[in-house]
Amino acid sequence: MGRYFIRRVLYAIPALLVISFISFLLIQLPPGTFADTVAAEMMESASVNESAIRAIEERYGLNQPIMVQYWKWISGILLRGDFGESFIWNRPVAPLMWERLGLTLVLTASAFIFVCVVSVPIGIFSAVRQYSVGDYIATSLGFLGLAVPSFLFALILMYIGFRYFGTSIGGFFSPDFARAEWSWARVADLLSNLWMPMLAVGLAGTASLIRIVRANLLDELLKPYVAAARAKGLSELSLLLKYPVRLALIPFVATVGWMLPQLVSGATIVSVVMSLPTTGPMLLRSLLGQDMYLAASFIMMLSGLTVIGTLISDVLLALVDPRIRFT
Amino acid sequence: MPGGGGRDLLLEIKGLKTHFFTDEGVVKAVDGADFPIARGKTVCVVGESGCGKSVTARSILQIVDRPGRIVEGRILLHRESEEVVDLAAMAPTGKAIRAIRGKEIAMIFQEPMSSLSPVHTIGNQIVEMIRLHLPMTTEQARDRAAELLERVGIPQAGRRLDSYVFQLSGGMRQRAMIAMALSCRPNLLIADEPTTALDVTTEATILDLIKELQRDLNMTVMFITHDLGVVAEIADDVVVMYLGKVAETAAVDPIFHDPKHPYTRALHQSIPKFGDTQRGALEAIRGMVPHPFARPDGCTFHPRCESFMPGECDRVAPPAVVMESGTTVRCLLYGGSDGSGAVRDDAGGHAGTAGGEAGARAPGKGASGPRAADQGAAG
Repeated sequence: MGRYFIRRVLYAIPALLVISFISFLLIQLPPGTFADTVAAEMMESASVNESAIRAIEERYGLNQPIMVQYWKWISGILLRGDFGESFIWNRPVAPLMWERLGLTLVLTASAFIFVCVVSVPIGIFSAVRQYSVGDYIATSLGFLGLAVPSFLFALILMYIGFRYFGTSIGGFFSPDFARAEWSWARVADLLSNLWMPMLAVGLAGTASLIRIVRANLLDELLKPYVAAARAKGLSELSLLLKYPVRLALIPFVATVGWMLPQLVSGATIVSVVMSLPTTGPMLLRSLLGQDMYLAASFIMMLSGLTVIGTLISDVLLALVDPRIRFT
Repeated sequence: MPGGGGRDLLLEIKGLKTHFFTDEGVVKAVDGADFPIARGKTVCVVGESGCGKSVTARSILQIVDRPGRIVEGRILLHRESEEVVDLAAMAPTGKAIRAIRGKEIAMIFQEPMSSLSPVHTIGNQIVEMIRLHLPMTTEQARDRAAELLERVGIPQAGRRLDSYVFQLSGGMRQRAMIAMALSCRPNLLIADEPTTALDVTTEATILDLIKELQRDLNMTVMFITHDLGVVAEIADDVVVMYLGKVAETAAVDPIFHDPKHPYTRALHQSIPKFGDTQRGALEAIRGMVPHPFARPDGCTFHPRCESFMPGECDRVAPPAVVMESGTTVRCLLYGGSDGSGAVRDDAGGHAGTAGGEAGARAPGKGASGPRAADQGAAG
């Protein structure tokens, strides 16, 4: 198990390096640089200040070959944790990104927990009582959840929240706490505002996970080992949870890692609608403005999350399924 | 033969009907089966695939999968305390039947690979069963599980407790399964084609093991198979099933030397004989097992029967006839059509139930009143 884990971690390192290079390359692909964006803006307002443009190019090494630029950037990250400067915000990328990434992870993690806590029991119920009234209700709600776009659901939630609960609309914090320092009161405020985006982000995931759990479990329920466990004299609930549910969750565990980046990017639209300070809107803006270092860092982070998510999946999978551990 | 005196019954199946309610229609997997199981004996249930052998076995434990359920009949378990309980009347998920499963009646299945959990160790699964029925700590149960594994011939039993199913060979898996089934000392062991998935060498050793355990533990075994070779090796009594009904019930000798039912004879003829000098195709039973929704009227075997009597076999459902030798057979060759020519399929069901009572009495050696025993007609 230990060796398996170490091997998986070692495999992740080259993957991350390749990802960092591709991320950087991707940002370079559109024609023009940040200096051109600045020049275009200057042209609109007044005359172009050639020396200012040269200064920008000089400062960020925009005229040098890609490999040099990449090396400057990646060595800064690896050696000093310096992700470069954001041109748009005129601030270092690192603190900007960590703040956003932190809040995004809070939102994603809570949405993920919500999805699991709601979907797994409903999915189990749906499978065990296949074609019962309860199954039909769960199935209908599931399809409804899949069909409703998350931004629309976000709008509905905001309306309900404002109209009936008087919750402040938009953002993770009430106006009083928006710019306050971190404190327990601010954490409490975050939690009280979190449920709405959590529901909006988690809705589609909940609906699809109900279907996945139901389908997987239906496959398992008729397998011989279930009848054999029943023949032992186990009660229906304990045999259900110990045998078929555990096996039905294996494919789910295998894909859990991919849900990490999916939830982050899926949150973009909801974040725009609810004006949440997550990574999504900031990434969108940095791409539009050719804010090279910020965009590359974000893309690298999101791709990195995929690698880390897959790594987590693999380790979890080995934990729940001995057939993987021993072969 | 031990226990020559009045044979003591362990289980009686009477008029059992287990039907599956599918969208396409009702599949009558077991449709009025009657047979007794004598205490301490090995009963083999034989028949082609789809004859209701496995469903009968699962009905005894009430573990028939959806959409099947027992619709009629009784399954009487005779306890040593002379108490008699009807398993068919118990709720399938209730406490009463759960206390019997694994404890009084244990079962081993066809494919040990898929019948054991792939993600739990052998030890975990055996300990779970022991602790479910016996007041033991985990350590005690583990020791017992190791003893059991050793008893069924698994080397390094203590270490094997921590193995997973996929780390064992086919034969070892079935041994582990048998060890688990024996863990609470059941009175009845139901073996549902336990050797079908194994190669012949392994099959022989597993059969020897079951025989040996049956003798040592004085256990009753209900053994389901489609292999008459296996029957010859281990059976005391034989139940021949066809399309959810019992065609013939007899001791093992008459089944091989004096089979009554045309179906039993046909099964015989389809065994390849070693040293048979005649070359040529192996004789198979004519036709196929009919589609479950198109069960023939009268005797369900009549479309495939060599001794088909037009006008009788396709109209009258044969009642159980008890022969002098103790064999119970459902075939009009041995009577049952006389004076009841108008009995149609529905009414035939009632006749069948009445015949079932006779069948239950039958195995008592020297049971009175053979109703028809013109063996000449059999030829």
